Amino acid sequence: MREVAIIGVGHTKFGRLNDKGLLDLLCEASLDAIEDSNTSDTDFDSVYVASMLAETLNHMTGVASALVDRIGLLPTAADHIKNGPASGGSAIKNAFYAIASGACELVLVSGAEKMTHVTLPGGVTSAVATMTHHNAERIHGASLPSFAGLLTRSYMEKYNVPKEWITSIAIKNHRNGVNNPYAHFQKEITLKKAMESPIIADPLQLYDICPISDGAAAIVMCDADIAKKYCDSPILITGVGQATDTHIIYEREDLTVLNALRICSKQAYDMAKKTPNDIDVFEAHDAFTILEAIQSEDIGFFKKGEGAKAAHEGLTEIGGKIPINPSGGLKARGHPLGATGVAQVIELVWQLRGEAGKRQVADADTGITCNFGGFGNNIVSILVERM
Amino acid sequence: MNNKEKLEGIKCKKCGYFQHISHLRCLKCKNDTFDIVEAKGNCILLTYTILHAPPMEFREKKYYILGVVQFENGMKAFGQICPKENLIIGMKLKPIYEKVCNDLDGNEVYGYVFK
Repeated sequence: MREVAIIGVGHTKFGRLNDKGLLDLLCEASLDAIEDSNTSDTDFDSVYVASMLAETLNHMTGVASALVDRIGLLPTAADHIKNGPASGGSAIKNAFYAIASGACELVLVSGAEKMTHVTLPGGVTSAVATMTHHNAERIHGASLPSFAGLLTRSYMEKYNVPKEWITSIAIKNHRNGVNNPYAHFQKEITLKKAMESPIIADPLQLYDICPISDGAAAIVMCDADIAKKYCDSPILITGVGQATDTHIIYEREDLTVLNALRICSKQAYDMAKKTPNDIDVFEAHDAFTILEAIQSEDIGFFKKGEGAKAAHEGLTEIGGKIPINPSGGLKARGHPLGATGVAQVIELVWQLRGEAGKRQVADADTGITCNFGGFGNNIVSILVERM
Repeated sequence: MNNKEKLEGIKCKKCGYFQHISHLRCLKCKNDTFDIVEAKGNCILLTYTILHAPPMEFREKKYYILGVVQFENGMKAFGQICPKENLIIGMKLKPIYEKVCNDLDGNEVYGYVFK
């Protein structure tokens, strides 16, 4: 396989972006990534667009075709990749294999979601809940927050973990988000305020849950052999993994284990010939605080049941044993579904280039992501290194 | 949907693995022949959440409780839990077939709730 490099990134502001539509966001991030890559008017070989709910929330199909037309990339091949909230990671994985196989040399990945215009109460929750198992879960009123509530209770009972330890993850991510100019929230919150916030899916509270956001993120990837032609500091994608788990969450032997993450992160580590000890920074998929705690265990940084404790003790802070979500994570950066997996990789690119400003992790050479689809039933991990 | 559906699972004829009735092949061994097993008697509550932000179809309720239960024969199920207070992991519950919501097309949806 050929080596694959990232040579350009583009990231819109995440948040409530009232004056921009889905396609506007995809175009903005894509053109910024192309400019950052110095590829100028070079022809692309393929474009992968990630968006989970374009049809449902934006009444748009064919977003990949629309994007290449609007930004003047015709007649480049263009595909729309849909893997729930892991669509961005899946798009990068597809781009990686397109280049690694030798089929493509220069590829654009662009992910976006436009969600905040939905005003019907429960509208976004219902659209996202269509990922759940129809007969076993959906018809009974299941939603993603409800699963996170079940998981939080199971984890607290099994490992005797106080809720404050789990919620401390949101405090840390908000603190990191203050220094991310693209974040939905650039505001610190206190543990007291978070612990007094309304219950959403008991025991999970409002401040344990990521916001609904608009935004887009894009990267330009190429054959590593030609990367230096465009870019002084290319970042290599050296590991990629993807795995699935049961659609019905109660069919997992242990609700608190993310088996798909164990498998896909092992694939990424093995491909890159790395172990968790080699990782300097981790971008987790903290749609709910409990997920960051559990992912930090199943991706190999902490023993089972010790992820929330580690966060509580400061081990996942910037400057800690393993910094997690210096970007602010989904909690503070926001979660425009299709953009998230791409934004995670962009944060690692900035960290590895040394361009992360006040949230910079010192001497970051290697990073990994967890992009979480469904409720852990389809997970992608991307491992990146400095060239 | 008004005909009462049985609460059933399937057991793989080859390896004995027990799973939800929607699977066409065994999750463990890929075999495609099964015995249908009916849930019998009471079940116990394994875990639960109280959901205060329901999806659109369930917005007529301010909140409701969702949980995972397990029957004596090992079969698990997910659904709404009726006791609203004094919920205890391990408590005994009884499956009752009733209307759970109107779907987004306005159709009545029936299923098991655990009381």
